[in-house]
Amino acid sequence: MKKIFLKELKMNLKTLLIWSLSVGGMGLACILLYSSMEGEMKDMADAFSHMGSFSDAFGMSTLSIATLKGYFATEVGAVHGLGGSMFAALIGAGMLSKEEELHTGEFLYSFPVSRKKIVAAKALCIFAMLIMFTLICAGLYASGFAALGEDLPVKEFMKYMGMQFLLDTEIAGICFAISSLSSKTKTGLALGTALMCYAYDIIGRVVPDVKDYLFIGPFSYSNASDIFSGADTEIKGIVFGTALTVLLVVFSFVYYDKRDLAS
Amino acid sequence: MGNVIEIEHLTKNYGKNRGVTDVSLTVKEGDIFGFLGPNGAGKSTTIRSMMGFLKFDKGSIKILGMDSVKDREKILANVGYMPSEAWFYDSMKVSEVIAYAADIRGLDCREEAGKLCERLKVNTDKKIRELSYGNKKKVSIVCAMQHKPKLFIFDEPTGGLDPLMQRSFFELITEYVDKGATCLLSTHVLSEVNKYCKSAAIMREGKLTMLESPDIDDDEFLKFYEDSEEDA
Repeated sequence: MKKIFLKELKMNLKTLLIWSLSVGGMGLACILLYSSMEGEMKDMADAFSHMGSFSDAFGMSTLSIATLKGYFATEVGAVHGLGGSMFAALIGAGMLSKEEELHTGEFLYSFPVSRKKIVAAKALCIFAMLIMFTLICAGLYASGFAALGEDLPVKEFMKYMGMQFLLDTEIAGICFAISSLSSKTKTGLALGTALMCYAYDIIGRVVPDVKDYLFIGPFSYSNASDIFSGADTEIKGIVFGTALTVLLVVFSFVYYDKRDLAS
Repeated sequence: MGNVIEIEHLTKNYGKNRGVTDVSLTVKEGDIFGFLGPNGAGKSTTIRSMMGFLKFDKGSIKILGMDSVKDREKILANVGYMPSEAWFYDSMKVSEVIAYAADIRGLDCREEAGKLCERLKVNTDKKIRELSYGNKKKVSIVCAMQHKPKLFIFDEPTGGLDPLMQRSFFELITEYVDKGATCLLSTHVLSEVNKYCKSAAIMREGKLTMLESPDIDDDEFLKFYEDSEEDA
């Protein structure tokens, strides 16, 4: 199992670096751009905070983008939230199905290792990659604050990155379950899942009728504006998300162990 | 000598498509068993059921005296399998694939792998993506043999191999069998069965017929294929 885990990690290292440096790099670039935009931000912040539901949806009614904290939460929050969830969706969706799609399954599954152990090694690999992704991005964002000579709001920042990790784990869990069902990698479905979750959160923050059900989506508890403005985190969102992730991973184990493997 | 493979009343359906029906088969220790049949007859389905890739509907499979479902890991520790299509991870080097196959088994197979690579002229420095179909097959042979298993299961192993390599391959099988291994060889090539196998069976339309002797002539052999074509 350890060998399979390490092999998966090695094979996915390039993808991990590309995604973490791209998402983290974009976030860092956004932070570094702040100093050159700081002057114009005051007027923009005023305008953006008086746009009704739009301001609520993007958190600009509670945080001012004229401050680095507010700017980070609204701009980098969107970049990281979307980028991270798309990365999680992609690695989750391909982890099991790629063996059948690329016809390597008959090589891997002919070893004296149970399917459950192989699924466990692959699930652990996703988990490890998401930890590394979060750490790399967090490091890049923190270095941006340092480069501007600004204090990093450590408590909120740590909470935000932790919640983003939870969000990515949930998205990866959903896509891992999709991967266990199919012998083809459903990239479109995986990316669609991540984007739909994001869209659901935006809609939920604009449409009053949906607000009560916002906790169903993983972006509810990981919203940067809520975290950086000090709003209470919806515990039921975290509980629901964690339960869903565990349920889907267990489903993947059970279903994948029982189904026929394509040659 | 005991039975290394005991299949009883194996049935596997794929919904509307035919799988295998009521297949019973025994392979004795030290045998090289020829497993013949047209494309789609059910040879690979039988083999893939033995390997645990497919969940069969009825029947039982015992390999090396163990149940193929309950004792899958123990069985696979003693099996060397070569699928009909040799696929590996493209980004890995040949040497990495061979070492990986040994590492997962928790064995140090470097000496045996070295001998096999020399006999089969495998270039271990190349990346998998750089290999031809035949060369991938040779890597697959090394992975199946390096741990010196008690049972070999080969699914159309010689496709893509040049005649010299085919000869080397059968020499290797004969050597391992002389040392106590058993081999199930699925093939379309009658001459391989005539020359190397001690017993044989032929599959057609998901059903198995044991042959009295592997020395059947071309006409008798092709009759199975012709009947199958007509039915299709």
